[in-house]
Amino acid sequence: MELTISGINAATSPNLHIWDWRVAMYLFLGGLSAGLAVMSSILNVRKGGSLAINERAAFTAQILVPVILSVGMIFIFLDLERKLNVFWLYLSFQPLSPMSWGSWGLLVFYPVSILFAIAAIPVENRHRLLFRQLIELADWLQQYRLHLAAANFTLGIFIGIYTGVLLNSFVARPLWNSAVLPVLFLCSALSAGAALMIMIAGQKNVKLFFTKIDIWLIASEMTLLPLFFYGQYTSSYAHRESIMPFFMFNHQYFWYALAIMLLLIILPAALVIKVLEIKEEHGDTLTPEALFKMNLSAIIVLLGGLIIRFSFVYAGQLSHL
Amino acid sequence: MPKYGMVIDQRRCVACMACVVACKKENDVPHGQFRTRVVEEVEGEFPALRMELRSELCNHCDNPPCVYNCPTGASYKRSEDGLVLLKKYRCVGCKSCLAACPYDARYINHEKGFADKCTLCEHRIKEGKSPACVATCVGGSRIFGDLDDPESLVSIVLRENHSHVLLEGAGTKPRIYYIKMYSKPE
Amino acid sequence: MTAKFSRRTFLKTSGLVSAGIAATSMLPDKFLLWAEEQGMLKADYIPTYCEVCFWKCGAMAKVINGRVVMLEGNPKHPGSRGKLCGRGNGGAGLLYDPNRLKTPMISVGKRGEGKYRKASWDEALNVVAEKLTKIKQQYGSEAVALFTHGTPTDHFLPLLYAYGSQNVGMPSFAQCRGPRDVGLELTFGESVGSPERLDLANSKLIVLLGSHLGENMHNSQVQDFSEAMASGAQLIVVDPRFSIAAGKAHAWLPIRPATDIALLLAWINVIIEEEWYDKEYLDKYATGFTELAAAVKAYTPEWAEKETDIKADKIVETARMMANNAPAVCIHPGRHATWYGDDVQRTRCLGILMALLGTWGREGGVFIATKSSFPKAASKPFPELSVEALNTCGYPLAGAEGLTHVIRSSTISGTPYPIKGWIVSGTNLMKALPNQKETIEAINKLDLLVAIDVMPFDTVMMADVILPECTYLERHDALAIGKGKMLTVSLRQPAVKPMYESKPGWWIAKELANRLGLNEYFPWNTLEDKIKAQCSLCNISYDELKKEGTIVIPGTAAPYITPLNPPEFKTASGKIELFSKELKEKGFDPIPRYTKHPQPQAGEFRLVYGRNAVHTFSRTTNNPELNELFSENEVWLNTKQARSLDIKNGSYVTLVNQDGVKSPPLKVKATERIREDCVYMVHGFGTTSKELKNVFGKGADDQGLVTRYAIDPICGATGMRVNFVRIEKGALHA
Ligand SMILES: Nc1nc2c(c(=O)[nH]1)N[C@H]1C(S)=C(S)[C@@H](COP(=O)(O)OP(=O)(O)OC[C@H]3O[C@@H](n4cnc5c(=O)[nH]c(N)nc54)[C@H](O)[C@@H]3O)O[C@H]1N2
Ligand SMILES: Nc1nc2c(c(=O)[nH]1)N[C@H]1C(S)=C(S)[C@@H](COP(=O)(O)OP(=O)(O)OC[C@H]3O[C@@H](n4cnc5c(=O)[nH]c(N)nc54)[C@H](O)[C@@H]3O)O[C@H]1N2
Ligand code: SF4
Ligand code: SF4
Ligand code: SF4
Ligand code: SF4
Ligand code: SF4
Ligand SMILES: [Mo]
Repeated sequence: MELTISGINAATSPNLHIWDWRVAMYLFLGGLSAGLAVMSSILNVRKGGSLAINERAAFTAQILVPVILSVGMIFIFLDLERKLNVFWLYLSFQPLSPMSWGSWGLLVFYPVSILFAIAAIPVENRHRLLFRQLIELADWLQQYRLHLAAANFTLGIFIGIYTGVLLNSFVARPLWNSAVLPVLFLCSALSAGAALMIMIAGQKNVKLFFTKIDIWLIASEMTLLPLFFYGQYTSSYAHRESIMPFFMFNHQYFWYALAIMLLLIILPAALVIKVLEIKEEHGDTLTPEALFKMNLSAIIVLLGGLIIRFSFVYAGQLSHL
Repeated sequence: MPKYGMVIDQRRCVACMACVVACKKENDVPHGQFRTRVVEEVEGEFPALRMELRSELCNHCDNPPCVYNCPTGASYKRSEDGLVLLKKYRCVGCKSCLAACPYDARYINHEKGFADKCTLCEHRIKEGKSPACVATCVGGSRIFGDLDDPESLVSIVLRENHSHVLLEGAGTKPRIYYIKMYSKPE
Repeated sequence: MTAKFSRRTFLKTSGLVSAGIAATSMLPDKFLLWAEEQGMLKADYIPTYCEVCFWKCGAMAKVINGRVVMLEGNPKHPGSRGKLCGRGNGGAGLLYDPNRLKTPMISVGKRGEGKYRKASWDEALNVVAEKLTKIKQQYGSEAVALFTHGTPTDHFLPLLYAYGSQNVGMPSFAQCRGPRDVGLELTFGESVGSPERLDLANSKLIVLLGSHLGENMHNSQVQDFSEAMASGAQLIVVDPRFSIAAGKAHAWLPIRPATDIALLLAWINVIIEEEWYDKEYLDKYATGFTELAAAVKAYTPEWAEKETDIKADKIVETARMMANNAPAVCIHPGRHATWYGDDVQRTRCLGILMALLGTWGREGGVFIATKSSFPKAASKPFPELSVEALNTCGYPLAGAEGLTHVIRSSTISGTPYPIKGWIVSGTNLMKALPNQKETIEAINKLDLLVAIDVMPFDTVMMADVILPECTYLERHDALAIGKGKMLTVSLRQPAVKPMYESKPGWWIAKELANRLGLNEYFPWNTLEDKIKAQCSLCNISYDELKKEGTIVIPGTAAPYITPLNPPEFKTASGKIELFSKELKEKGFDPIPRYTKHPQPQAGEFRLVYGRNAVHTFSRTTNNPELNELFSENEVWLNTKQARSLDIKNGSYVTLVNQDGVKSPPLKVKATERIREDCVYMVHGFGTTSKELKNVFGKGADDQGLVTRYAIDPICGATGMRVNFVRIEKGALHA
């Protein structure tokens, strides 16, 4: 068929050109902070909080949550064409707009994660705090630790899902318009959170604990990805077309093919390494090479999360109803 | 409460682009950006060829994903006449509406940064005029009117001809109808 | 100031000057439109008529605070009916084109070097007047020729005549309508005029040879065409290319180029053999049927199939379509008819076909012009010519519009007498005339080349003196008298004051006349005075005209043949001449005969060309509002050919014609929409003028490749589709 179109806008034709690395980074970091929040809640609560006892990560992981989130927020802010109007996001609530939910959600997530971080400051270290008020606050928050953890956990899950729903809500873009996407993004967010936790955590048992968790997360990621592609392939013509970039293996779609191949290597690799880690007999302190392996697999997992966000943000814009 | 819409009689279109140029002038659309376009589709092999001429614009959907996806309420469907319009002062330029529109009817005004699109020339409708692209449509292909008024030209033309909307499957309930075939409904 | 600097630097400085001049009207449209909506500013609607092409549509200029923000059609005007085409809508793009000619300029370099200095009007006009006087003394007044197109003609033709020369060349004849008008005049005693008196809207069947309506965007004609399509009229399109019109056709006949006469003769043959013609009509109004019937016997569909590459049964079928719908059949006589050098005879065939089907003067065919007209104002008689004007030399039926290329060749050869001065207004000769080498050669022979223009197009940039006319939105021009179904008169008046130092054509002509001592030929102060006088003569109210833009004189229509409204054919016989005595006497075929034209060799393609809906020849190519939609022409190449030549769609190639002339790099449009034996391009691109910032270096000029042309012996028009090109791959493109 020969097409001649007079009067096309570069932003939408021949395909969508609206979101770039900034949005991809936002989705990744948003997910990462959410995942980390969930993990730090777990760390502070599981086993009656015994894991958290003199574990530096109990605090440092949680304080990283708002930090990473802020960096992510900077990226999305950079993407807005009318930055001075951001306040309008908070002068209205649009029940059908994921981005509206997200903006409000993040508004709650911030204080909660910070408060929880403060509450998570180990008692023995609190005297180091500069301001008396902070110490008092920390002591006062102590009693609400569990509630904060719960809230922090829930909001983490919420944000994790949101980063997927944000894309999933566009009927016009079949690659994104799949119910599997939010779950996949949540999963990869949690797994990234776990990975980061493993890197931060000081104690061997904590590291191994989250390694176990991550194994399950990676495993489910590895089921969700094929499920996603299968779902697209067996759906409408447009949905089937939408995943083609990943399987064309031609120069035009080189990066997408590469992304898929990397994922095909990374995820199993990470999984295997981790399984070996827990199988392995460790002394009471981890050997340098054991540590190295752990960090390596963690980095690989983070990389996987990054690849998923980038390839989906870009490929989605190639797809059209 | 009028329900403004358009019928595009493709038999009449001659790809003259008057609509495209007029729209840009009337609404001062920035250079390189457009609220409406003309699509020329040719299928087949020489000499067995088929041509379809189709002018496209915002469908002012009754089920508008662009509005649903707008986080600020800048994009809205006007209650009195159902036109899908913009409160530019509210727009943050997040581009969700561009991603949401299955018809690629939107753009980000590259001078001002806000999202923009066809307004069905509501400022002209207000003055009792027809939209600029309709007024100048050399082929008389673009027909404007109140879809709820059985006496309006749009209603009559729709009654008398087979018509369809673009991407009906998207469930957006467009208000721009297309007449492609010659035959009348039996 | 006498300091000489190149035109480029001048344009910059003058740009600043002008910014000052126009400052008041420099508020952005965005603001003006907004302010108007808020009711802070009031918009005036000033009626005028469009000059982006020659349809002269009535337009309304929406003016806010001295700036034209929008153009709309004038509902009262029959040519626009409240609508403008894309080009007309973009008219203000010309008005505000920063590359416009801003002040008079005098060449300071060699011809064609493009080096100019700014000059005052006084200086520039004096230079022109002096040179004109000198030429008159040395060679006689006939040594000055005028090339003109469009409304400037109304001012500069009288100037030329008054000066004592009648050597005029309008591309609208020898490169355009000439053969059509002559062919129809020979057959019916008159042509269809412009706007063409075609009753398309009421046709049951429309037949187009070439005539790519839709791309050929003449407003009301296309409106009627669409009307017919919507009301279910049938359409036959004969075109080697799948044009927009072909896309609507019930029968598309992709004819082998240059064989149309074969098809037409076969149609005539079938209609006569099958006795599908309108006996009664012919008996009443036509002569020469028996000769015709005898002459076309040999032209059977089977014969035509071999020539035209159209199946015989398709030819019969389409002939039947015509018979079934007669007389409501509109056989379009074409407009750009200068194709192959036998174009008068092709139009004769069209005329004969119309006659057989009895469509002339019938509803849905060709309607009869209103018989009413306006009285002409008496004016001082022009001086007698001492020698005969070149206009018809050698070509018996050439008309008053003259023969551009004859003046050109006489300028080169100096025979029958020398031509030393060219006045060029409203025409881009480099683009309009075939074989640019000759044009340049002729120009180099001149003592004076003065261009009256609005934009620095190719020919302008070769002139010794450039006189910047203001655009049609800034000036008065002669009343436009319409003789369609009804008698109409339309006014052109300024919507805004002339920008920069540009001046109306009438003012330039009058000022030159004063300097040449010819003032009594321009016996009025302003053109408006003259128009007012005309109005009172024709007793129409000038004030009403000013307000309405167009006045339609009611009750002046009598479009169809009725007992009370019999047709009159201004031929020798007073009848439709199927057999043309006049042609016989002048030594041509009284009934068209088919002559084979050369076809492309292997590896060659015939070069054919046409229009794009948003451009008028070259004149709009730099207009920002139109250039935005079509900024570069492409060469259409059949996909199979592209594949076998291994040429990718969208890649750049060079076209090389039979004489080795190469085109600039040109983008390929590989398409199913064209035959394998020809390539197509849109006319008007590939300018050589660096001053045209939007379009310089974009696309290629078909005219550059048209080095050969076939002159029609009957009317002297130049057939321009007789050139063949090869395609060279891998052209470098900046
Ligand atoms: N948009 C726009 N419209 C215009 C103009 C403009 O500049 N721009 N100019 C106006 C003017 S002044 C004129 S004269 C007209 C010209 O417009 P037309 O009178 O329509 O010109 P043609 O040459 O008849 O038509 C060009 C078509 O002829 C086809 N063709 C080429 N060779 C042959 C052949 O051998 N046989 C047949 N049957 N067809 C062939 C080409 O493929 C092309 O589609 O347009 C007028 N309208
Ligand atoms: N190869 C080839 N040659 C052709 C044709 C083709 O299709 N192919 N078409 C032929 C036909 S049909 C025609 S009618 C002719 C057309 O030939 P032209 O009428 O010469 O067409 P343009 O190339 O538009 O040149 C118009 C010139 O007039 C100037 N101009 C525009 N408006 C005004 C104004 O208001 N005042 C003044 N003073 N100048 C103005 C423009 O700037 C430009 O320089 O070309 C013929 N020649
Ligand atoms: S066409 Fe697009 S922009 Fe217009 S209403 Fe529908 S979804 Fe929104
Ligand atoms: S770009 Fe503006 S209009 Fe579009 S969704 Fe974002 S805020 Fe709403
Ligand atoms: S209705 Fe108005 S805004 Fe919409 S396309 Fe037509 S002219 Fe443009
Ligand atoms: S103005 Fe009318 S006829 Fe011309 S392209 Fe637009 S829709 Fe088609
Ligand atoms: S046809 Fe278009 S360009 Fe020509 S006069 Fe009419 S509006 Fe102007
Ligand atoms: Mo022409």
